[in-house]
Amino acid sequence: MTLLASFDWHFIWEHIPDFWDGLKATLKVAAIGIAGSLAIGVVLGAARAHRIPVASWLAAIYVEVIRNTPILVQIFFVAGALPHLPGHPIRLEPFTIAWLSVMIWGGAYNTENFRAGFEAVPYRYREAGLALGFSRFKTFLNVTLPIGGRIALPSSINTYISVLKNTSLLTAIGFAELTNTAYSLESVSFKATEVYFALGVTYLLVVWTLSALIRFIEGRLALPEQA
Amino acid sequence: MPDWVDPVAHYMVHEGLKNTVKIAVFAVLGSTLVGIVLGTLMTIRFVPLQALIRLYIEIWRGLPIIVTVFLVYYALPTAPVIHHRFGVITGAVIGLGLWGSAQVAEATRGAVQSIPREQHEAASALGFGWIGRHRSVILPQALRRLLPPLVSLLANVIQNTTIASLIGVPELLATGQRSIERLQFEPGAHSHNFAIYLAIMAAFFCISFPLTRLAIFLERRLV
Amino acid sequence: MRRITITLVALFLAAVVFSTLGSAAPGGKLAAAAGPTAKPKLPPKPKRSKLPAAVRQRGKWVIGVKCDYPPFGYVAANGRNDGYDVAVARRFAQLAFGSTGKLELVCVTTPSRIPTLQSGRVDIIISTLTWTKARTEVIAYSIPYYNAGGRLLVPNNSQIRSLRDLGSKKVATTRGALYATWVRNCFKNSSLLEVDSPALATSAVKDGRADTFMFDDAFLIGVATQDPTLKLTNDKFLTVPWGVGIRRGEGQMAAWVNTAIRYMRARDEFATILKGVGRRFGSSQALINGFLDSVPRPKTRFTYPFGKDVTAICP
Repeated sequence: MTLLASFDWHFIWEHIPDFWDGLKATLKVAAIGIAGSLAIGVVLGAARAHRIPVASWLAAIYVEVIRNTPILVQIFFVAGALPHLPGHPIRLEPFTIAWLSVMIWGGAYNTENFRAGFEAVPYRYREAGLALGFSRFKTFLNVTLPIGGRIALPSSINTYISVLKNTSLLTAIGFAELTNTAYSLESVSFKATEVYFALGVTYLLVVWTLSALIRFIEGRLALPEQA
Repeated sequence: MPDWVDPVAHYMVHEGLKNTVKIAVFAVLGSTLVGIVLGTLMTIRFVPLQALIRLYIEIWRGLPIIVTVFLVYYALPTAPVIHHRFGVITGAVIGLGLWGSAQVAEATRGAVQSIPREQHEAASALGFGWIGRHRSVILPQALRRLLPPLVSLLANVIQNTTIASLIGVPELLATGQRSIERLQFEPGAHSHNFAIYLAIMAAFFCISFPLTRLAIFLERRLV
Repeated sequence: MRRITITLVALFLAAVVFSTLGSAAPGGKLAAAAGPTAKPKLPPKPKRSKLPAAVRQRGKWVIGVKCDYPPFGYVAANGRNDGYDVAVARRFAQLAFGSTGKLELVCVTTPSRIPTLQSGRVDIIISTLTWTKARTEVIAYSIPYYNAGGRLLVPNNSQIRSLRDLGSKKVATTRGALYATWVRNCFKNSSLLEVDSPALATSAVKDGRADTFMFDDAFLIGVATQDPTLKLTNDKFLTVPWGVGIRRGEGQMAAWVNTAIRYMRARDEFATILKGVGRRFGSSQALINGFLDSVPRPKTRFTYPFGKDVTAICP
C-alpha cells in the first residue's frame, strides 16, 4: 500500500522527545485537574445532597453554567476575559490557566456525580449512623461518603478521563501540551499524516490504559451489591 | 446600548451563529444515522462484527474531539485513498460526526439490548424475521429510549462546534474573538473582551440549558 | 600588427554604435542612451484569456485571506473584509473581470492557509505568506508583493532590551511562523507560546502570559502605536518577502499572478493600496510613509533568499 510505503516513520522517531515533553505537560495538568475535580465534587456534591442552604444554590448555579457552556469558551474566558475584568483584572500564568480551567470544568460534572452518589445511599444507613450518636458531619464522613463515593465511582471515572482529554484544548491558548506539540510540528513540517497518526495513537494508548487501570481499581472497590 | 455592540452582534449572529447551527445540525444528523445503524448491527451475535464496531466506538470516543478534527481536516486528505480535500465546515462536520456517531452507537446498543427478550420471542413466534422484528417491534421501542440521549447529544455537539474555530471556521466563538481583536486594534484601543466573552457564554447557555432540561424531562416521561 | 589593432578598434566602435541603436526605445534611438528622459516599456496588463480555465469559467476569484491580522487582512466594523492583502485580491478581481465584486474571500489562519489552498477550496492565498524553503516544498510562490521584517514587542517596563535578553524568557509567536523555527534554532533557552492569531499573542504579552511577541513589523508597529503600554525594541531581523501562495504545478495561475504583480508594481499601485489601507485604518501619515519601502515600487524589487535557510542564521 502506497500509504504505508510513503509514511515517514523516521520523522516520528526523530520527534519522540518532543512528544514526550508534551505528554508530560498533559499528564501534569490532568493530574492536578483530576485531583481538584475530586475535591470540588465531594465538597459541593455533599452540599447539594444535604441541601445546605446557600452553598447548595451557589453550587447548582456553578454546575449548570459550566455544564451548559463549551469548555473551550471557558478556557478562553479564564485566559482572555479575566485579565480584562472591569475593576479587578485577574492575570494568570499559562500553567495556572491550564489546570484551573480543566479543574473548574471537571469539578462541575463531578459535583453532579457525587450528589447522585450521596443521594443514592439508602436512608437507613444514615439513620443508623445518627442513631449511633454520630453528628451529621461524622455520619457523612463515615457512612455517606464511603458508600456514596463508591456508587459515584463509575461516573466520576468518566469525568476524570474527560478532564484528561480536555487538556488537548489548551493548545488554543498556546499551552505546550501534547496536542500543541503535534499541531506546531505539523505547521512547520506539513507531515500531517505522520504527526496526527502519532498523536492519535498516543492519546488512545494513554486513555485506554488509564481507563483499564481505573476500571480495575473500581472493580476492587465496588460494593458487594454493585458487583 | 454603546454603538460598538450593533455591528458585533450582527456579525456574531449572522455569520457565527449561522455556522454553529449549520455544523451542529449536519453533525447530529450524520451521527444519528450512522450511530443507529452501527449500534443495531452490534447486537447481532457475530463476534468479528461486534469487535469491529466496538473498535470504532472506542477510537472515536477515546480520542479528544480536537484530535479527531485535526486528523480529518489536516491528515485525512493526504491519504492516497482519499484524494479529495474538503473545506473547513465539512471537516468539522465529519470530525464531530465521528465522535457523535460513536456516542449514538453506544447508546443504541444499550437501548436495543434493554428491550426484554420476551419482545424478541413474541415477534419471532408471530413469524417476523430478524429485519422485520427489528423494524416493527424492537427499534421503535429502542428509539423512544434513545430520545433523551439524542437530545443531550445535540446540546453537546452544539457546544463542541467551538472546536471548529481552531481550524478556522467563523462560528460563534471565532466571530466573537475577531470582533474583540478588531475593537482592540482600532484607533483608541477599546477592550470589550469581558463583555463579549460573557455574551458568548450566555448564548451557549441559552441554547444548551433548555435542551438538557428537555432531555431530563424526556427521560422521566419515557422510562 | 597595426592593421589588427585598427580592425579591433573599428569593430569595437561598431559594436558600441550598434548596441546603442539596438536598445533605442520607440521614440528616438539616442534618447535611450540618454537615460532618464526615456519612456520605459510598461509590463503588460494581465488578460482574462490567460486566466486558468477554472477561474475564467467561474467568472470570479476565490482567494484565501487573513481575517485576524490587521492591517493586512481583517474584518471591519461593517462586516466587510479589508486590509492590504484584501485590497490586492480585489485588484486581481478587477484586472481579471473588470470589477472588485467578482471575488469570494475565504478566511484562513496561519496554520490553515496552506491546507485550504491544497484542498482546492481557494484558487490562491494572499495571506501574509512569508517565503520559506520548507513551504516551497509543498506550494509555489508568486514574485514578492510585500517585504516584512521581524521585531520584538514588549511591555514598557520589560527587562528585555534586545535579542540578547531573550535568554530564558517566554516568546509568543504565531504557529508555523518562521520566528518559531528561528527561536528554536537560535534561542534554545527561551520557551515558546505558539498561538494561532497575532491578536492572541499580543494579548498574551499584555496579560503577562508571555514576555515578548516576536512578529512582523507591520503588525507590531501598528500595535505599539495604538497601545501606549507596549513598545518595540530596536532589533530588526529576518527580513523576508511575502508571496502569493499558488498550488504546485499550476504554471498558468502563477504566470497570471506574476503578470498582475508586475503590472501593479510598475504603476506604483502597491503604494496607493498601502496609503488607502493606512488611511482607513486610521494610521498617521508618518507611519504610512515609513512602510513605503516595504512594498514593491517601480524602482524597488525584492527577492526571496533562495538557497538560504534564514531561520538557521543566528545573530
